[in-house]
Amino acid sequence: MRELVIIGYGAAGFAALIKANELGVKPTLVGEGPIGGTCVNVGCVPSKRMLRIGEVYSLGRRYCLRGCYPPFFESFQDKDRLVTELRKVKYEDVLSAYDVELVEGQARFVSPNGIKVGGRIIESKKFIVATGSSPHVPEVPGLKEVGFWTNVEALSPNKRIESLAVVGGRALALEFAQMYRRLGVEVVVLQRSPVLLPDWEPEISVEVRRVLEEEGVNVITGVRLKEVRKGEGKVVVTDVGEVEVDEILMATGRAPNVNLNLEAAKVALNERGGIKVDGELRTTNPNIFAAGDVIGGKMLEALAGKQGTVAAENALLNAHRNVDMFSVPQVVFTQPNLASVGLTEREASKAREVESRIVMMEDVAKARILGETKGFIKMIVGKEDRKILGVHMMGENAAEVINEAALALKMRASIYDFIDTVHVFPTMGESLRLAALSFLGDVKKMSCCV
Amino acid sequence: MKLNMRLNLQRQVDKCENCGAPLSAGHVYSREINGVTHYFCCSHCADEFEGSGHPSCC
Repeated sequence: MRELVIIGYGAAGFAALIKANELGVKPTLVGEGPIGGTCVNVGCVPSKRMLRIGEVYSLGRRYCLRGCYPPFFESFQDKDRLVTELRKVKYEDVLSAYDVELVEGQARFVSPNGIKVGGRIIESKKFIVATGSSPHVPEVPGLKEVGFWTNVEALSPNKRIESLAVVGGRALALEFAQMYRRLGVEVVVLQRSPVLLPDWEPEISVEVRRVLEEEGVNVITGVRLKEVRKGEGKVVVTDVGEVEVDEILMATGRAPNVNLNLEAAKVALNERGGIKVDGELRTTNPNIFAAGDVIGGKMLEALAGKQGTVAAENALLNAHRNVDMFSVPQVVFTQPNLASVGLTEREASKAREVESRIVMMEDVAKARILGETKGFIKMIVGKEDRKILGVHMMGENAAEVINEAALALKMRASIYDFIDTVHVFPTMGESLRLAALSFLGDVKKMSCCV
Repeated sequence: MKLNMRLNLQRQVDKCENCGAPLSAGHVYSREINGVTHYFCCSHCADEFEGSGHPSCC
């Protein structure tokens, strides 16, 4: 019997493999499809490269190249080159550097301590399930017949399109809406909720709409899809009328990949359709752990990696470790970036008295230097101790800045820790310190380095 | 093909559900009422909206 079998070779699976080797265990890694999982193949890496190409051309158009858009197919080829390169360097080469048995194929549990891959039964003392997630597409009459894209097809289009309907209004929808708009495509976002990003701070929800609309993205909220039919193009029929486009991108969330015959292993699912785990990532079978998107919580690459590491430590050492979810940051990589860590003001105020402040990016010197003054930073603190409870921002490079905020939350820091830490001037990171200072005075009336 | 929108609505903006004022980063407040999140320009509008007994479907 093996010591550890890891099912899935994406971010969580690889992190678990590396930790297992560090602990002196050679695991069996079972996976199917392209190595590296969603992130490097059809997720973060390719989408952020496409967004970067859009940013570069957007800047060019602003200053000297009006009407100049990225070459459509060449941009996707550029992205393909990067994906191939990073998949090799970060996954294929990495795999060869570790002591691991690789088994390619679909895994199904046949007992509480055994899986079947192909015709082969593999038994192990411990398992880590890290099978990730797949696009979730709701049933809409006519949609399957007419055809649609998910993120997979949208990252490797087989045709040049002039118009796109993006169904959804969360991270993936907004990134693809901006990505395609910046490729010169006419885009409409159809969102069921009354605002975009309904789980985020309301300030971000309303401002991101403004930013997208200023770029020419049409945003329709509070709309329900009724059917899809074929017309001259693809017709999306809603309760407020219809839109006709070349293609439809369904950005309606992701579902955990749990088709593993989990009943045979006595592993239960949670209310989100993911694998039910406790704080130590242990499933309802004490010898089976789960990590990453398959849990059905926040589906974030870096979180999946961390969970893979923690699951391996708990599986092999019974280390009783858990992941500090309070300090897990998340980002939407539009330009400007949207970034968030900790509690929203509404969440925080349910538990205690809180205060919040907003500093606009026009009051951050680096934002002005960059010519990117759209956005703001909002900080939420406890009223008594002024410990940081949440940071939410829209701004240039907010994805970088939010890491410092995440560390502050992890360390249970207060505004005084930010204020007492000298920040480099001029940087976007300084916006955190300004937000902290805004609890003590008006930052509009402060000189550059206070 | 060019985007063709045949929608029965005016250009939308995010508006306060109580007074209709446009929402912005400096003027937005959300509150969950009867399990549904509603958006207002300020807490006073939220109080007024909630006090008026608006059903959750509004």
